[in-house]
Amino acid sequence: MTANPMIDEWYPVGILTELSPEGRDTMLMGEPITVACDAAGDPVVTAGDGRSLPVRARYGHAWTSLGTPAKELFDIPEADQPGRRLVDVGVVRVKCSPLRAVENFLDIAHFPFVHTDILGAEPNTEVQRYEVQIREEVDEVWATKVKFYQPQAAKSAEGGITTDYMYRVPAPTVSILYKTCPPRPGEWDVITLFVQPLAEDLCEVWPWMALFDDQTPMTDLIHFQQMIFLQDRSILENQLPRLLPLDPGMEIPTRADLTSVAYRRWLKRHGFTYGAQLVAA
Amino acid sequence: MQNDNRGQTTQMPQNWTAVALSRDVPPQVVIPSVVDGRELAVWRSQSGRVAAWDDRCPHRGMRLSHGFVRGEALSCIYHGWSYNEAGLCQRIPAHPDLVPPDAIRVPVQVAAESGGVIWVALQETGQAPPSLGEFVPMRSVTVEAPATTVAALTGVEIDTAGALSVDLAETPCVLLVQNLPADRVALHVLVAAGTSAAAQAGVSRALEDLRRRAESERQPA
Repeated sequence: MTANPMIDEWYPVGILTELSPEGRDTMLMGEPITVACDAAGDPVVTAGDGRSLPVRARYGHAWTSLGTPAKELFDIPEADQPGRRLVDVGVVRVKCSPLRAVENFLDIAHFPFVHTDILGAEPNTEVQRYEVQIREEVDEVWATKVKFYQPQAAKSAEGGITTDYMYRVPAPTVSILYKTCPPRPGEWDVITLFVQPLAEDLCEVWPWMALFDDQTPMTDLIHFQQMIFLQDRSILENQLPRLLPLDPGMEIPTRADLTSVAYRRWLKRHGFTYGAQLVAA
Repeated sequence: MQNDNRGQTTQMPQNWTAVALSRDVPPQVVIPSVVDGRELAVWRSQSGRVAAWDDRCPHRGMRLSHGFVRGEALSCIYHGWSYNEAGLCQRIPAHPDLVPPDAIRVPVQVAAESGGVIWVALQETGQAPPSLGEFVPMRSVTVEAPATTVAALTGVEIDTAGALSVDLAETPCVLLVQNLPADRVALHVLVAAGTSAAAQAGVSRALEDLRRRAESERQPA
């Protein structure tokens, strides 16, 4: 068996404020782990064989790795920006490849059909040309100058607006979305998708947000995002094959899928293939 | 249990499989189905044409049986890519001005209707779908047990065309067998034409009883 470079990456495994001394039994890439906290409230993650795993407490979540991470956990500078509300949305378990969950998050063309009348609506279905690059200096996938018409872009949005987006993939199962912030022009709301790979075809999704929104009750913010992710789940659990095909031929991308194409290329280049299908079935 | 009409269905070509009663797939409806292990989206256009396609959008692999029908086209629910009656992609909403290349197509199976039943073949049969003569469609049931278990309980063998001809509640019936994955089976049930509503209710109860017995045989005691 070949080495699995994804072993050395960081993964979200729980919400910091929900950790308990007794711990929660869960899985990471097929291995049982227990996520608990010590007397100081700091996360403690233990593998099934008893070994202590590295931990980080960041962005509302506990992070761990089954291997030896060569890189520090990625940075989200906006997380420390004053005035933002940090929202732990919760967890959604999805019977799909963790990589498919990320790819769906990078996709805007599905908004009118899956998040109808919220993030998109016919006839405003066109995806304008945008820019995608793999930023070699930070080794991240970036999509910029993404624009899309949205009937209700955020809980704080009233009526339809054309929303600007940027997408960023700093780790194989993490995507960070920057989008137009209705109450604060010039700033970006940050919405992330942190994905915990339980198995190659099963994951838990931990969305997290850092928003400029002083008005909307926390419950409403959480419900809005949960509704969006439940709509996505109805797609993700019905894609065939379950694993993300990395080789061309199995699926047909179009121009709107440039982010997905770059993401797949970046995964393949790094050997990030846990949850991927390499040979066309 | 047997009836005099048993020989009726033996003329059916083998490679047609009943997948639904016509009335259970009205215009602009799409349902998932399976024929010989192949997952299909069975749908009816606005004008009434039935079709059976592979249940997978070539774009991102989404099941087309979750899609929607507009006019004579089936669209994928994920990104709205729509496919015409030949299975060719005719529109990509993300790029409204793009004419999709012919390479973007969904494999299309053979579908036809006869006697109030939708039939599917995975290859051209050269023959019309079966005609069931004096039988009319009543209902479909899915049984969490294999067809062989159902057949054993009726005491009748599944004929070469995949039908069980039995009497249920003393009414002559034809049970069209559609094998499903995981040792399940769908039975598309037809009754003798002219069967009264009361007699049909009796057939329905007998059918439920047959299903219960088949499913209880399957489960460990």
